[in-house]
Amino acid sequence: MDSFFEFFSFSDSSIISVTIGAILLTSSSAVVGTFTFLKKKALVGDAVAHAVLPGICLAFLLSGNKNPVVLMIGAFITGWLSLVLIDVITKKSKIKEDSAIALILSVFFGIGILMLTNIQHGGNAAQTGLDSFLFGKAAALVGNDVLTFGIVAVILMVTVTLFFKELKLISFDSNYAQALGIPVRAIDLLLTTLTVLAVVTGIQAVGVILMAAMLITPAAAARFWTNDVKKMTFLAAFLGGISGLVGAYVSYVAPAMPTGPWIVLIISGLALMSFFFAPGKGVISRFIEQRKLQNQIMDENLLKALFHLGEKDKNLFEARTTEDILSRRYFPIKKLTDTLTRLKRQGFLTSQNSHWKFTEIGKQKGQRVVKLHRLWELYLSKYVKIAPDHVHEDAETIEHIITPELEAQLEHLLEYPEQDPHAENIPY
Amino acid sequence: MKIEAENPAVEFHDLTVSYHKKPVLWNIDMTLPKGALIGIIGPNGAGKSTLIKSAMGLLPLGSGYVRMFDHKLDEVRDQISYVPQRESVDWDFPTSVFDVVLMGRYAKLGLLKRPRKADKEMAMSCLRKVGMEGYIDRQISQLSGGQQQRVFLARALAQEADLYFMDEPFAGVDAATEAAILSIMQEMTAQGKTVIVVHHDLQSAAEYFDWIVLLNMRLVASGPIEEVFNNELLQETYGGKLTVLAEVGELVRKRQIPSREKY
Repeated sequence: MDSFFEFFSFSDSSIISVTIGAILLTSSSAVVGTFTFLKKKALVGDAVAHAVLPGICLAFLLSGNKNPVVLMIGAFITGWLSLVLIDVITKKSKIKEDSAIALILSVFFGIGILMLTNIQHGGNAAQTGLDSFLFGKAAALVGNDVLTFGIVAVILMVTVTLFFKELKLISFDSNYAQALGIPVRAIDLLLTTLTVLAVVTGIQAVGVILMAAMLITPAAAARFWTNDVKKMTFLAAFLGGISGLVGAYVSYVAPAMPTGPWIVLIISGLALMSFFFAPGKGVISRFIEQRKLQNQIMDENLLKALFHLGEKDKNLFEARTTEDILSRRYFPIKKLTDTLTRLKRQGFLTSQNSHWKFTEIGKQKGQRVVKLHRLWELYLSKYVKIAPDHVHEDAETIEHIITPELEAQLEHLLEYPEQDPHAENIPY
Repeated sequence: MKIEAENPAVEFHDLTVSYHKKPVLWNIDMTLPKGALIGIIGPNGAGKSTLIKSAMGLLPLGSGYVRMFDHKLDEVRDQISYVPQRESVDWDFPTSVFDVVLMGRYAKLGLLKRPRKADKEMAMSCLRKVGMEGYIDRQISQLSGGQQQRVFLARALAQEADLYFMDEPFAGVDAATEAAILSIMQEMTAQGKTVIVVHHDLQSAAEYFDWIVLLNMRLVASGPIEEVFNNELLQETYGGKLTVLAEVGELVRKRQIPSREKY
């Protein structure tokens, strides 16, 4: 706990720089990744992330030191090369894009690991820490490195902001963009460059192996909460930033621990939470929506059954027992009593000694369902030309979903008919 | 049967287009009149969409050229608008109806510029024209097929172009939308704009268009509807593919021969 307060008081200037660095890296990757995600290029991001490893090793071998700028240039070159090769393979051979991506990813990563192992056994003292590019090490972000990576991260975010309109358009409808005369190829190239740059900077905190998650997961999580690209981009940056913050903290508390897996676990946790809890699109929200719908159907079926009973006895406001209701239509007993209680609570029924009776508004509701059912049956037989003995099942479903506007349309179209195809009266 | 238009809006000159190395359009050569509502008609796989895509520069031309208002496409691009097929985009994309229509203004704005108030009002007025002003904040995935098509039309209208290429604007729309779209098109042509529409329903084609292009891998006919919309020519368009033409196309693809020799 002490380390928690120590870290979050930001008393140590190195803590501040590590934290700012990690947040900038993760959120800038998330911003660029939003468009990688929207263009459905997630796998390409993964390939680039793995393909930068040989570049880093090569840059180290050639320069003999770990100057971040030199390493970044190396990483950038092989990252780019991998994309060009994927493109060439897809266009010039019969190999499809997914296979080309898998091929390039493994070949480049294989070469990278080979070189890294070689360097580590080469006895060069300067190599220590190079392996932190595999799984990331936020704590290694100190001094000038933070500045370098920070600047790149800011450049990424500013570029996306400047070209936001175009990036959005080519992600949605690139044919139309081209027809408008927007330089689609150039913007595509820009996005590719941004992706490679995001990977190159992000690997410091996350590492090459898990970098793709950092590009894609924040956007995927953000997508659950909003239907607007702009908000989605901001949210992705925010969620990415949170995971970066946690990564920096872990790196501070447990220096031996690689930060990449932590960052990825946090952002995946956030994505999972979005999956469950997001309003509208989340699983729980959809479940609640379904439950509501089921309750509504149950309510309407019960009110309809009561209305049918009343129609038969010519007394709509007669008090009925559950047995009476069950004689008209089968309901599971538990559901039946639950629904009766609910309808009473909502003011559609009253009850006395387990006898249930319509209130005025309850009667109207039941009557409307019966009316919709019969109108729909009539519509089906009259306009869709379905035999009268085949229309009931369909009407059982449709009666629950017809809106007041459609109801008015049906009434108008059928000219307020008196009877349905089974010669039953349509109540108004 | 080919009738040339005087002072044409579009000129296709000996156009040949290949798709994945397979020629799908052979030697299309025709001129289309200004201010007309023009229907491109033909069976599935006749190359109707390919024809307008290549006119818009979305597909590489094997040979020949297309000129609009007697200029190259790039010189008059701001006068030309394109409505892609509705299925060509992902309607689950996180954006609103209004934002999609605003995209029609992007070319006028240029890079790095944000939409101005005037652009937004233009987008709004185009949405009103297609009867979608009540849906501006709606997420596009919640639209019906007809509404999606109206949005695409509004986006094209926002370009304020003089020549419109529309790929199947009547596909999968309800009767009300079809009528609404048609009346907008008629209004456009009345204002002297040229509207070129890929269409697949013969029945309505006879009522909708002033000028008809009959296409089946090659140009069967092009001319005013009363001259070319007859049984004989329709028979020629729909009466089976020219098998030899299709087979030669397949051969070209297999052998990877460029459709025109280049040195």
